[in-house]
Amino acid sequence: MAEQDEIKVNVKNLNFYYGNYHLLKNINLYFKKNSVCTLLGPSGCGKSTFLRTLNRMNDYTEGAKLTGEVLIDGKNIYDKSVDVVELRRNIGMVFQSPNPFPKSIFDNIAFGLKIHGIKNREFIAERVEKCLRYAGLYDEVKDKLHKSAFSLSGGQQQRLCIARAIATNPSILLMDEPTAYLDPASASIILDLITTFKKYYTIIIVSHNIQQAGRISDYSGFFLDGELIEFDEAGNFFTRPKDKRTENFITSRY
Amino acid sequence: MAELANIKKDDDPMPVFPINRGYIKRKKFYNGIAVFLAVMAFIIGAFPVFHIIYKAVALGHEYLNWRFISTLPTGFPIGAQGGILNAIIGDVYLVVIASIFAVPLGIGSGLYLSLFGKKRTNTFLRLLNELMIGIPSVVWGIVGFYVFSTNAGLGFHFGFSALAGGLTLGFIMTPIIALLTEQAINRIPSGYIEGALAMGATKWQATKSVIIKAALGGIFTGILLGIMNIIGQTAPLLFTNYYNTGMPTGITGPGGAVGDLAMLIFIYIHEPSKILHVKAEAASVVLLCFIFAIDLGLRLINYLTRKFL
Ligand SMILES: Nc1ncnc2c1ncn2[C@@H]1O[C@H](COP(=O)(O)OP(=O)(O)OP(=O)(O)O)[C@@H](O)[C@H]1O
Ligand SMILES: [Mg+2]
Repeated sequence: MAEQDEIKVNVKNLNFYYGNYHLLKNINLYFKKNSVCTLLGPSGCGKSTFLRTLNRMNDYTEGAKLTGEVLIDGKNIYDKSVDVVELRRNIGMVFQSPNPFPKSIFDNIAFGLKIHGIKNREFIAERVEKCLRYAGLYDEVKDKLHKSAFSLSGGQQQRLCIARAIATNPSILLMDEPTAYLDPASASIILDLITTFKKYYTIIIVSHNIQQAGRISDYSGFFLDGELIEFDEAGNFFTRPKDKRTENFITSRY
Repeated sequence: MAELANIKKDDDPMPVFPINRGYIKRKKFYNGIAVFLAVMAFIIGAFPVFHIIYKAVALGHEYLNWRFISTLPTGFPIGAQGGILNAIIGDVYLVVIASIFAVPLGIGSGLYLSLFGKKRTNTFLRLLNELMIGIPSVVWGIVGFYVFSTNAGLGFHFGFSALAGGLTLGFIMTPIIALLTEQAINRIPSGYIEGALAMGATKWQATKSVIIKAALGGIFTGILLGIMNIIGQTAPLLFTNYYNTGMPTGITGPGGAVGDLAMLIFIYIHEPSKILHVKAEAASVVLLCFIFAIDLGLRLINYLTRKFL
Protein backbone atom coordinates (compact mmCIF):
# COMPACT_ATOMS: atom_id res chain seq x y z
CA MET A 1 0.00 0.00 0.00
CA ALA A 2 1.69 3.15 -1.22
CA GLU A 3 -0.47 5.31 1.01
CA GLN A 4 0.65 3.46 4.11
CA ASP A 5 4.34 3.69 3.23
CA GLU A 6 4.22 7.44 3.28
CA ILE A 7 2.91 7.62 6.82
CA LYS A 8 5.69 8.26 9.32
CA VAL A 9 3.73 8.74 12.50
CA ASN A 10 0.30 7.30 13.03
CA VAL A 11 -1.65 8.16 16.16
CA LYS A 12 -4.53 5.85 17.00
CA ASN A 13 -7.17 6.36 19.70
CA LEU A 14 -4.79 8.30 21.87
CA ASN A 15 -6.09 9.29 25.29
CA PHE A 16 -3.98 11.10 27.82
CA TYR A 17 -4.64 11.78 31.50
CA TYR A 18 -2.96 13.94 34.11
CA GLY A 19 -4.13 11.96 37.13
CA ASN A 20 -7.93 12.02 36.86
CA TYR A 21 -7.91 14.87 34.38
CA HIS A 22 -8.73 13.44 30.96
CA LEU A 23 -6.85 15.89 28.75
CA LEU A 24 -6.41 14.35 25.29
CA LYS A 25 -9.56 12.67 24.07
CA ASN A 26 -9.38 9.94 21.50
CA ILE A 27 -6.95 11.56 19.10
CA ASN A 28 -6.57 10.01 15.63
CA LEU A 29 -4.26 11.47 13.04
CA TYR A 30 -1.17 10.75 11.01
CA PHE A 31 1.90 12.60 9.82
CA LYS A 32 3.33 11.87 6.41
CA LYS A 33 6.99 11.60 5.55
CA ASN A 34 8.66 14.81 4.40
CA SER A 35 5.72 16.97 5.29
CA VAL A 36 5.17 19.83 7.67
CA CYS A 37 2.16 19.65 9.94
CA THR A 38 1.15 22.50 12.23
CA LEU A 39 -1.04 22.01 15.25
CA LEU A 40 -3.15 24.97 16.28
CA GLY A 41 -5.47 25.64 19.15
CA PRO A 42 -6.13 27.95 22.07
CA SER A 43 -3.76 28.07 25.01
CA GLY A 44 -4.17 25.15 27.39
CA CYS A 45 -5.92 22.85 24.90
CA GLY A 46 -3.22 20.18 25.10
CA LYS A 47 -0.92 20.84 22.12
CA SER A 48 2.33 20.62 24.06
CA THR A 49 1.12 17.55 25.88
CA PHE A 50 0.24 15.91 22.57
CA LEU A 51 3.64 16.73 21.10
CA ARG A 52 5.32 15.19 24.13
CA THR A 53 3.42 11.94 23.68
CA LEU A 54 5.20 11.49 20.34
CA ASN A 55 8.64 11.01 21.91
CA ARG A 56 7.45 9.78 25.29
CA MET A 57 8.59 12.85 27.21
CA ASN A 58 5.53 12.42 29.41
CA ASP A 59 7.03 9.23 30.79
CA TYR A 60 8.52 11.26 33.62
CA THR A 61 5.43 13.35 34.39
CA GLU A 62 3.91 12.28 37.66
CA GLY A 63 0.43 10.85 37.37
CA ALA A 64 0.52 10.80 33.57
CA LYS A 65 -1.42 7.97 31.95
CA LEU A 66 -1.88 7.12 28.31
CA THR A 67 -3.96 4.72 26.26
CA GLY A 68 -3.98 4.08 22.53
CA GLU A 69 -1.12 3.79 20.10
CA VAL A 70 1.52 5.94 18.50
CA LEU A 71 3.00 4.09 15.55
CA ILE A 72 6.29 5.34 14.16
CA ASP A 73 7.32 3.51 11.00
CA GLY A 74 4.58 1.07 11.86
CA LYS A 75 5.84 0.24 15.35
CA ASN A 76 4.00 1.26 18.51
CA ILE A 77 6.42 3.35 20.53
CA TYR A 78 4.57 2.49 23.74
CA ASP A 79 5.34 -1.19 23.24
CA LYS A 80 7.25 -2.73 26.12
CA SER A 81 10.04 -3.76 23.75
CA VAL A 82 10.77 -0.20 22.61
CA ASP A 83 14.03 1.34 23.77
CA VAL A 84 13.15 4.93 24.68
CA VAL A 85 16.72 6.17 24.31
CA GLU A 86 16.91 4.70 20.81
CA LEU A 87 13.51 6.19 19.96
CA ARG A 88 14.50 9.70 21.01
CA ARG A 89 17.76 9.64 19.09
CA ASN A 90 15.61 9.57 16.03
CA ILE A 91 13.40 12.48 17.11
CA GLY A 92 14.54 16.06 17.54
CA MET A 93 12.59 18.27 19.91
CA VAL A 94 12.43 22.00 20.41
CA PHE A 95 10.72 22.84 23.67
CA GLN A 96 8.19 25.60 24.21
CA SER A 97 10.54 27.59 26.40
CA PRO A 98 14.20 27.70 25.37
CA ASN A 99 16.20 25.28 27.51
CA PRO A 100 19.87 25.41 26.53
CA PHE A 101 22.21 23.29 28.65
CA PRO A 102 24.49 24.98 31.17
CA LYS A 103 27.34 24.63 28.70
CA SER A 104 29.00 26.70 26.04
CA ILE A 105 27.17 27.54 22.82
CA PHE A 106 29.43 25.14 20.95
CA ASP A 107 28.94 22.30 23.44
CA ASN A 108 25.17 22.72 23.40
CA ILE A 109 25.16 21.56 19.79
CA ALA A 110 28.08 19.16 20.13
CA PHE A 111 26.29 17.37 22.99
CA GLY A 112 23.91 15.53 20.67
CA LEU A 113 26.78 14.40 18.45
CA LYS A 114 28.82 13.28 21.42
CA ILE A 115 26.07 11.14 22.84
CA HIS A 116 25.87 9.52 19.43
CA GLY A 117 29.48 8.49 19.95
CA ILE A 118 31.00 10.94 17.48
CA LYS A 119 34.51 11.97 18.49
CA ASN A 120 35.97 13.49 15.35
CA ARG A 121 36.59 17.11 16.35
CA GLU A 122 36.70 18.47 12.82
CA PHE A 123 33.40 16.87 11.98
CA ILE A 124 31.83 18.23 15.14
CA ALA A 125 33.14 21.76 14.56
CA GLU A 126 31.90 21.70 11.00
CA ARG A 127 28.51 20.41 12.04
CA VAL A 128 28.15 22.99 14.80
CA GLU A 129 28.82 25.80 12.38
CA LYS A 130 26.42 24.39 9.82
CA CYS A 131 23.59 24.06 12.32
CA LEU A 132 24.14 27.57 13.64
CA ARG A 133 24.03 28.90 10.09
CA TYR A 134 20.77 27.10 9.33
CA ALA A 135 19.26 28.55 12.51
CA GLY A 136 20.40 32.03 11.46
CA LEU A 137 22.51 32.39 14.58
CA TYR A 138 26.05 31.92 13.36
CA ASP A 139 26.94 35.54 12.62
CA GLU A 140 25.71 36.63 16.04
CA VAL A 141 27.70 34.07 18.01
CA LYS A 142 30.72 33.16 15.88
CA ASP A 143 33.08 35.11 18.13
CA LYS A 144 31.80 33.64 21.38
CA LEU A 145 31.17 29.98 20.64
CA HIS A 146 32.83 29.01 23.90
CA LYS A 147 30.84 31.40 26.06
CA SER A 148 27.98 30.09 28.17
CA ALA A 149 24.71 29.61 26.33
CA PHE A 150 23.03 31.59 29.10
CA SER A 151 24.75 34.72 27.87
CA LEU A 152 22.39 34.66 24.87
CA SER A 153 19.06 36.49 24.62
CA GLY A 154 15.79 34.56 24.74
CA GLY A 155 15.41 34.52 20.97
CA GLN A 156 19.03 33.52 20.47
CA GLN A 157 18.58 30.70 22.96
CA GLN A 158 15.53 29.52 21.06
CA ARG A 159 17.49 29.41 17.80
CA LEU A 160 20.31 27.61 19.58
CA CYS A 161 17.83 24.96 20.70
CA ILE A 162 16.64 24.61 17.11
CA ALA A 163 20.24 24.26 15.90
CA ARG A 164 20.78 21.66 18.60
CA ALA A 165 17.74 19.67 17.52
CA ILE A 166 18.75 19.33 13.86
CA ALA A 167 22.38 18.44 14.56
CA THR A 168 21.87 14.70 14.84
CA ASN A 169 19.82 14.06 11.67
CA PRO A 170 16.60 13.03 13.38
CA SER A 171 13.94 11.73 11.04
CA ILE A 172 11.21 13.51 12.99
CA LEU A 173 11.35 17.06 14.28
CA LEU A 174 8.95 18.21 16.98
CA MET A 175 8.83 21.95 17.51
CA ASP A 176 6.77 23.63 20.19
CA GLU A 177 6.25 27.25 19.12
CA PRO A 178 9.72 27.55 17.60
CA THR A 179 9.25 31.20 16.64
CA ALA A 180 7.56 32.45 19.80
CA TYR A 181 10.52 34.51 20.96
CA LEU A 182 11.71 35.66 17.54
CA ASP A 183 11.53 38.91 15.63
CA PRO A 184 10.00 38.69 12.13
CA ALA A 185 13.36 38.40 10.36
CA SER A 186 14.64 35.62 12.61
CA ALA A 187 11.27 33.89 12.45
CA SER A 188 11.48 33.99 8.69
CA ILE A 189 14.87 32.26 8.78
CA ILE A 190 13.41 29.50 10.93
CA LEU A 191 10.47 29.09 8.58
CA ASP A 192 12.93 28.74 5.71
CA LEU A 193 14.83 26.15 7.74
CA ILE A 194 11.60 24.19 8.21
CA THR A 195 10.83 24.29 4.51
CA THR A 196 14.38 23.21 3.66
CA PHE A 197 14.46 20.38 6.13
CA LYS A 198 11.16 18.80 5.27
CA LYS A 199 12.99 17.13 2.37
CA TYR A 200 14.64 14.97 5.00
CA TYR A 201 12.42 15.08 8.04
CA THR A 202 8.85 14.74 9.14
CA ILE A 203 8.17 18.01 10.91
CA ILE A 204 5.44 18.61 13.47
CA ILE A 205 5.01 22.11 14.80
CA VAL A 206 2.84 23.70 17.45
CA SER A 207 2.15 27.28 16.55
CA HIS A 208 0.10 30.23 17.68
CA ASN A 209 0.83 32.18 14.56
CA ILE A 210 -1.79 31.34 11.97
CA GLN A 211 -0.10 33.32 9.24
CA GLN A 212 3.21 31.53 9.72
CA ALA A 213 1.42 28.19 9.96
CA GLY A 214 -0.34 28.87 6.70
CA ARG A 215 2.93 29.69 5.02
CA ILE A 216 4.77 26.47 5.83
CA SER A 217 2.13 23.78 6.44
CA ASP A 218 1.30 20.81 4.30
CA TYR A 219 -1.18 19.60 6.90
CA SER A 220 -2.81 21.26 9.81
CA GLY A 221 -4.77 20.20 12.85
CA PHE A 222 -6.98 22.14 15.23
CA PHE A 223 -7.19 21.17 18.90
CA LEU A 224 -9.86 22.41 21.27
CA ASP A 225 -10.14 21.27 24.89
CA GLY A 226 -8.07 18.17 24.22
CA GLU A 227 -10.04 17.12 21.17
CA LEU A 228 -8.83 17.12 17.60
CA ILE A 229 -11.59 19.09 15.93
CA GLU A 230 -10.22 19.11 12.42
CA PHE A 231 -7.28 17.69 10.54
CA ASP A 232 -6.74 18.26 6.86
CA GLU A 233 -4.39 19.31 4.10
CA ALA A 234 -3.32 22.88 4.66
CA GLY A 235 -5.03 24.12 1.52
CA ASN A 236 -8.44 22.99 2.73
CA PHE A 237 -7.75 23.70 6.38
CA PHE A 238 -6.96 27.35 5.97
CA THR A 239 -9.32 28.23 3.15
CA ARG A 240 -12.28 25.89 3.53
CA PRO A 241 -12.38 24.58 7.09
CA LYS A 242 -15.18 22.06 7.60
CA ASP A 243 -15.86 22.84 11.22
CA LYS A 244 -17.29 26.16 12.32
CA ARG A 245 -15.01 26.18 15.37
CA THR A 246 -11.91 25.87 13.20
CA GLU A 247 -13.09 28.70 11.06
CA ASN A 248 -13.72 30.85 14.11
CA PHE A 249 -10.25 30.10 15.38
CA ILE A 250 -8.31 30.80 12.23
CA THR A 251 -10.22 34.00 11.69
CA SER A 252 -9.41 34.89 15.31
CA ARG A 253 -12.89 34.78 16.68
CA TYR A 254 -11.81 32.89 19.82
CA MET B 1 -7.47 57.22 57.12
CA ALA B 2 -8.43 56.55 53.57
CA GLU B 3 -8.15 59.45 51.27
CA LEU B 4 -10.31 58.96 48.23
CA ALA B 5 -8.66 59.76 44.92
CA ASN B 6 -10.95 61.32 42.39
CA ILE B 7 -12.89 58.47 40.84
CA LYS B 8 -14.00 59.16 37.32
CA LYS B 9 -16.93 57.92 35.32
CA ASP B 10 -18.54 54.53 35.93
CA ASP B 11 -17.12 53.08 32.74
CA ASP B 12 -13.55 53.83 33.73
CA PRO B 13 -11.81 50.53 32.82
CA MET B 14 -9.35 50.78 35.68
CA PRO B 15 -10.86 52.90 38.43
CA VAL B 16 -8.31 54.45 40.77
CA PHE B 17 -8.70 52.79 44.17
CA PRO B 18 -8.48 54.57 47.51
CA ILE B 19 -5.00 54.60 48.97
CA ASN B 20 -4.74 53.52 52.58
CA ARG B 21 -1.82 55.59 53.87
CA GLY B 22 -2.14 54.19 57.37
CA TYR B 23 -1.80 50.63 56.06
CA ILE B 24 1.35 51.42 54.12
CA LYS B 25 2.85 53.28 57.08
CA ARG B 26 2.10 50.33 59.34
CA LYS B 27 3.73 47.88 56.93
CA LYS B 28 6.82 50.07 56.71
CA PHE B 29 6.98 50.10 60.50
CA TYR B 30 6.75 46.29 60.61
CA ASN B 31 9.49 46.11 58.03
CA GLY B 32 11.66 48.20 60.32
CA ILE B 33 10.93 45.87 63.22
CA ALA B 34 11.78 42.81 61.12
CA VAL B 35 15.11 44.30 60.06
CA PHE B 36 15.86 45.25 63.68
CA LEU B 37 15.08 41.73 64.90
CA ALA B 38 17.21 40.18 62.16
CA VAL B 39 20.16 42.37 63.09
CA MET B 40 19.67 41.59 66.79
CA ALA B 41 19.49 37.86 66.04
CA PHE B 42 22.71 38.12 64.08
CA ILE B 43 24.46 39.96 66.89
CA ILE B 44 23.20 37.56 69.54
CA GLY B 45 24.26 34.62 67.36
CA ALA B 46 27.60 36.07 66.34
CA PHE B 47 28.62 37.42 69.73
CA PRO B 48 29.44 34.07 71.35
CA VAL B 49 31.39 33.04 68.27
CA PHE B 50 33.55 36.14 68.35
CA HIS B 51 33.80 35.90 72.11
CA ILE B 52 35.02 32.31 71.93
CA ILE B 53 37.55 33.19 69.27
CA TYR B 54 38.68 36.18 71.31
CA LYS B 55 38.95 34.14 74.52
CA ALA B 56 40.80 31.31 72.83
CA VAL B 57 43.26 33.66 71.19
CA ALA B 58 43.71 35.65 74.41
CA LEU B 59 44.36 32.54 76.47
CA GLY B 60 46.35 30.55 73.99
CA HIS B 61 48.19 33.22 72.05
CA GLU B 62 51.61 32.36 73.48
CA TYR B 63 51.49 29.05 71.59
CA LEU B 64 50.18 30.36 68.32
CA ASN B 65 53.43 29.96 66.46
CA TRP B 66 55.00 27.73 63.86
CA ARG B 67 56.76 25.54 66.42
CA PHE B 68 53.44 24.66 68.04
CA ILE B 69 51.94 23.27 64.84
CA SER B 70 55.11 21.66 63.53
CA THR B 71 56.33 19.57 66.47
CA LEU B 72 55.08 16.51 68.28
CA PRO B 73 53.98 16.69 71.91
CA THR B 74 56.62 15.69 74.48
CA GLY B 75 57.27 16.17 78.23
CA PHE B 76 55.21 15.13 81.22
CA PRO B 77 52.28 15.06 81.25
CA ILE B 78 52.62 14.41 77.57
CA GLY B 79 52.08 17.70 75.72
CA ALA B 80 53.65 19.84 78.40
CA GLN B 81 56.36 20.44 75.87
CA GLY B 82 56.25 20.43 72.09
CA GLY B 83 53.28 21.05 69.84
CA ILE B 84 50.25 19.42 68.26
CA LEU B 85 51.56 18.06 64.97
CA ASN B 86 50.23 14.59 65.81
CA ALA B 87 46.68 15.95 65.92
CA ILE B 88 46.96 17.99 62.74
CA ILE B 89 48.37 15.07 60.77
CA GLY B 90 45.76 12.81 62.36
CA ASP B 91 42.92 15.07 61.23
CA VAL B 92 44.26 15.00 57.69
CA TYR B 93 44.22 11.19 57.83
CA LEU B 94 40.70 11.09 59.23
CA VAL B 95 39.22 13.64 56.84
CA VAL B 96 40.83 12.01 53.82
CA ILE B 97 39.73 8.51 54.79
CA ALA B 98 36.20 9.65 55.66
CA SER B 99 35.93 11.61 52.39
CA ILE B 100 37.19 8.78 50.19
CA PHE B 101 34.42 6.69 51.66
CA ALA B 102 31.64 9.24 52.06
CA VAL B 103 31.92 11.51 49.01
CA PRO B 104 31.28 8.91 46.30
CA LEU B 105 28.75 7.07 48.44
CA GLY B 106 26.91 10.25 49.41
CA ILE B 107 26.81 11.68 45.88
CA GLY B 108 25.77 8.30 44.52
CA SER B 109 22.93 8.00 47.02
CA GLY B 110 21.80 11.56 46.29
CA LEU B 111 21.78 10.84 42.55
CA TYR B 112 19.83 7.66 43.10
CA LEU B 113 17.26 9.39 45.27
CA SER B 114 16.68 12.24 42.84
CA LEU B 115 17.00 10.55 39.47
CA PHE B 116 16.87 6.82 39.44
CA GLY B 117 14.89 5.29 42.28
CA LYS B 118 11.21 4.42 42.36
CA LYS B 119 8.96 6.94 44.07
CA ARG B 120 7.68 4.69 46.85
CA THR B 121 11.06 3.29 47.81
CA ASN B 122 12.55 6.75 47.65
CA THR B 123 10.17 8.16 50.23
CA PHE B 124 11.32 5.41 52.55
CA LEU B 125 15.00 5.82 51.72
CA ARG B 126 14.79 9.58 52.16
CA LEU B 127 13.28 9.10 55.60
CA LEU B 128 16.03 6.64 56.46
CA ASN B 129 18.64 9.14 55.30
CA GLU B 130 17.20 11.89 57.46
CA LEU B 131 17.07 9.49 60.38
CA MET B 132 20.76 8.73 59.85
CA ILE B 133 21.56 12.43 60.03
CA GLY B 134 19.74 12.56 63.35
CA ILE B 135 21.60 9.64 64.94
CA PRO B 136 23.85 10.95 67.73
CA SER B 137 27.51 10.61 66.93
CA VAL B 138 28.19 8.55 70.04
CA VAL B 139 25.91 5.88 68.59
CA TRP B 140 27.94 5.91 65.41
CA GLY B 141 30.98 5.44 67.61
CA ILE B 142 29.54 2.27 69.07
CA VAL B 143 28.50 1.03 65.63
CA GLY B 144 31.99 1.77 64.31
CA PHE B 145 33.51 -0.01 67.27
CA TYR B 146 31.57 -3.20 66.59
CA VAL B 147 31.92 -3.10 62.85
CA PHE B 148 35.55 -2.06 62.44
CA SER B 149 37.48 -2.29 65.70
CA THR B 150 36.47 -5.50 67.43
CA ASN B 151 36.93 -8.99 66.17
CA ALA B 152 33.21 -9.54 66.43
CA GLY B 153 31.00 -7.81 63.88
CA LEU B 154 31.68 -8.11 60.18
CA GLY B 155 35.19 -9.44 60.32
CA PHE B 156 37.10 -6.22 59.92
CA HIS B 157 39.95 -6.20 62.38
CA PHE B 158 41.12 -2.64 62.08
CA GLY B 159 41.63 -2.17 65.82
CA PHE B 160 41.77 1.36 67.19
CA SER B 161 43.01 3.04 64.07
CA ALA B 162 42.70 5.85 61.57
CA LEU B 163 40.86 3.53 59.19
CA ALA B 164 38.27 2.50 61.80
CA GLY B 165 37.87 6.11 62.97
CA GLY B 166 37.79 7.57 59.47
CA LEU B 167 35.20 5.11 58.21
CA THR B 168 33.05 5.75 61.26
CA LEU B 169 33.23 9.47 60.58
CA GLY B 170 32.39 8.61 56.96
CA PHE B 171 29.10 7.13 58.22
CA ILE B 172 28.25 10.52 59.65
CA MET B 173 29.25 12.39 56.52
CA THR B 174 27.47 10.22 53.93
CA PRO B 175 23.82 11.07 54.66
CA ILE B 176 24.62 14.79 54.81
CA ILE B 177 26.21 14.70 51.36
CA ALA B 178 23.35 12.55 50.05
CA LEU B 179 20.73 15.01 51.30
CA LEU B 180 22.47 18.07 49.91
CA THR B 181 23.14 16.35 46.56
CA GLU B 182 19.51 15.34 46.21
CA GLN B 183 18.31 18.83 47.04
CA ALA B 184 20.77 20.41 44.63
CA ILE B 185 19.55 18.17 41.81
CA ASN B 186 15.90 18.80 42.59
CA ARG B 187 16.53 22.51 42.23
CA ILE B 188 17.82 22.12 38.66
CA PRO B 189 15.22 23.35 36.15
CA SER B 190 13.49 20.33 34.62
CA GLY B 191 14.24 21.74 31.17
CA TYR B 192 17.92 20.78 31.38
CA ILE B 193 17.15 17.17 32.08
CA GLU B 194 14.29 16.98 29.59
CA GLY B 195 16.46 18.61 26.94
CA ALA B 196 19.17 16.02 27.37
CA LEU B 197 16.76 13.07 27.50
CA ALA B 198 14.90 14.32 24.42
CA MET B 199 18.19 14.23 22.51
CA GLY B 200 18.40 10.52 23.25
CA ALA B 201 20.84 10.74 26.12
CA THR B 202 20.70 7.93 28.63
CA LYS B 203 19.98 9.01 32.17
CA TRP B 204 23.61 8.57 33.04
CA GLN B 205 24.78 10.65 30.06
CA ALA B 206 22.37 13.40 31.07
CA THR B 207 23.58 13.14 34.65
CA LYS B 208 27.24 13.19 33.78
CA SER B 209 27.25 16.05 31.35
CA VAL B 210 24.38 18.27 32.40
CA ILE B 211 23.02 17.50 35.83
CA ILE B 212 26.15 17.11 37.94
CA LYS B 213 27.57 20.29 36.57
CA ALA B 214 24.45 22.27 37.35
CA ALA B 215 24.28 20.78 40.84
CA LEU B 216 27.96 21.13 41.62
CA GLY B 217 27.59 24.10 43.96
CA GLY B 218 25.10 22.27 46.16
CA ILE B 219 27.16 19.08 46.14
CA PHE B 220 30.21 21.02 47.32
CA THR B 221 28.16 22.56 50.10
CA GLY B 222 27.22 19.03 51.16
CA ILE B 223 30.85 17.89 51.23
CA LEU B 224 31.78 21.01 53.16
CA LEU B 225 29.04 20.55 55.74
CA GLY B 226 30.03 16.90 56.08
CA ILE B 227 33.67 17.72 56.76
CA MET B 228 32.76 20.54 59.16
CA ASN B 229 30.56 18.14 61.02
CA ILE B 230 33.10 15.35 61.46
CA ILE B 231 36.13 17.48 62.18
CA GLY B 232 34.77 18.55 65.57
CA GLN B 233 33.66 15.07 66.60
CA THR B 234 35.16 13.24 69.53
CA ALA B 235 32.51 10.69 70.48
CA PRO B 236 32.85 8.47 67.38
CA LEU B 237 36.62 8.40 67.85
CA LEU B 238 36.49 7.33 71.51
CA PHE B 239 35.75 3.72 70.56
CA THR B 240 37.39 3.47 67.16
CA ASN B 241 40.63 5.41 67.19
CA TYR B 242 40.99 7.14 70.52
CA TYR B 243 44.19 9.15 70.34
CA ASN B 244 47.84 8.86 69.48
CA THR B 245 50.45 11.24 70.83
CA GLY B 246 52.91 10.25 68.15
CA MET B 247 52.80 9.63 64.40
CA PRO B 248 50.88 6.63 63.08
CA THR B 249 52.90 3.84 61.52
CA GLY B 250 50.00 2.62 59.42
CA ILE B 251 46.25 3.08 59.19
CA THR B 252 45.14 -0.17 60.83
CA GLY B 253 46.06 -2.29 63.84
CA PRO B 254 48.65 -1.36 66.44
CA GLY B 255 50.29 1.93 65.50
CA GLY B 256 47.35 2.78 63.26
CA ALA B 257 45.72 5.21 65.63
CA VAL B 258 46.14 8.93 64.95
CA GLY B 259 45.91 12.16 66.89
CA ASP B 260 42.97 14.50 66.42
CA LEU B 261 42.47 18.13 67.35
CA ALA B 262 39.07 17.72 68.96
CA MET B 263 40.29 14.71 70.95
CA LEU B 264 43.41 16.62 71.95
CA ILE B 265 41.33 19.50 73.28
CA PHE B 266 39.05 17.06 75.08
CA ILE B 267 41.97 15.23 76.70
CA TYR B 268 44.07 18.31 77.57
CA ILE B 269 41.13 20.04 79.26
CA HIS B 270 40.69 16.99 81.51
CA GLU B 271 44.34 17.01 82.62
CA PRO B 272 45.13 18.83 85.86
CA SER B 273 47.77 20.95 84.17
CA LYS B 274 47.67 24.68 83.55
CA ILE B 275 49.98 24.38 80.54
CA LEU B 276 47.75 21.82 78.87
CA HIS B 277 44.68 23.98 79.43
CA VAL B 278 46.38 26.87 77.68
CA LYS B 279 47.49 24.55 74.89
CA ALA B 280 43.92 23.34 74.49
CA GLU B 281 42.84 26.95 73.90
CA ALA B 282 45.58 27.40 71.34
CA ALA B 283 44.62 24.10 69.69
CA SER B 284 41.02 25.25 69.34
CA VAL B 285 42.21 28.32 67.46
CA VAL B 286 44.19 26.01 65.18
CA LEU B 287 41.08 23.86 64.70
CA LEU B 288 39.10 26.93 63.68
CA CYS B 289 41.79 27.90 61.21
CA PHE B 290 41.78 24.33 59.89
CA ILE B 291 38.03 24.49 59.25
CA PHE B 292 38.41 27.89 57.67
CA ALA B 293 41.16 26.59 55.38
CA ILE B 294 39.03 23.63 54.27
CA ASP B 295 36.12 25.99 53.61
CA LEU B 296 38.27 28.26 51.47
CA GLY B 297 39.88 25.32 49.69
CA LEU B 298 36.58 23.73 48.71
CA ARG B 299 35.14 27.05 47.61
CA LEU B 300 38.16 27.55 45.42
CA ILE B 301 37.79 24.10 43.88
CA ASN B 302 34.09 24.79 43.32
CA TYR B 303 34.89 28.10 41.63
CA LEU B 304 37.59 26.59 39.44
CA THR B 305 35.51 23.61 38.33
CA ARG B 306 32.64 25.91 37.44
CA LYS B 307 34.97 28.03 35.44
CA PHE B 308 36.91 25.37 33.59
CA LEU B 309 34.67 22.33 33.38
N1 LIG C 1 2.30 18.26 34.54
C1 LIG C 1 0.99 18.57 34.49
N2 LIG C 1 0.17 18.14 35.45
C2 LIG C 1 -1.15 18.43 35.41
N3 LIG C 1 -1.74 19.17 34.46
C3 LIG C 1 -0.96 19.64 33.47
C4 LIG C 1 0.45 19.38 33.43
N4 LIG C 1 0.96 19.95 32.33
C5 LIG C 1 -0.07 20.56 31.72
N5 LIG C 1 -1.22 20.38 32.39
C6 LIG C 1 -2.55 20.88 32.00
O1 LIG C 1 -2.88 20.35 30.75
C7 LIG C 1 -3.51 21.32 29.94
C8 LIG C 1 -2.82 21.41 28.59
O2 LIG C 1 -1.50 21.84 28.74
P1 LIG C 1 -0.56 22.04 27.47
O3 LIG C 1 0.73 22.52 27.97
O4 LIG C 1 -0.56 20.79 26.69
O5 LIG C 1 -1.33 23.18 26.68
P2 LIG C 1 -0.94 23.91 25.33
O6 LIG C 1 -2.00 23.61 24.36
O7 LIG C 1 0.44 23.57 24.93
O8 LIG C 1 -1.03 25.43 25.75
P3 LIG C 1 -0.12 26.67 25.31
O9 LIG C 1 -0.55 27.07 23.97
O10 LIG C 1 -0.43 27.71 26.33
O11 LIG C 1 1.31 26.21 25.38
C9 LIG C 1 -3.49 22.62 30.73
O12 LIG C 1 -4.78 22.85 31.24
C10 LIG C 1 -2.53 22.39 31.85
O13 LIG C 1 -2.97 23.02 33.00
MG1 LIG D 1 2.19 24.56 24.92
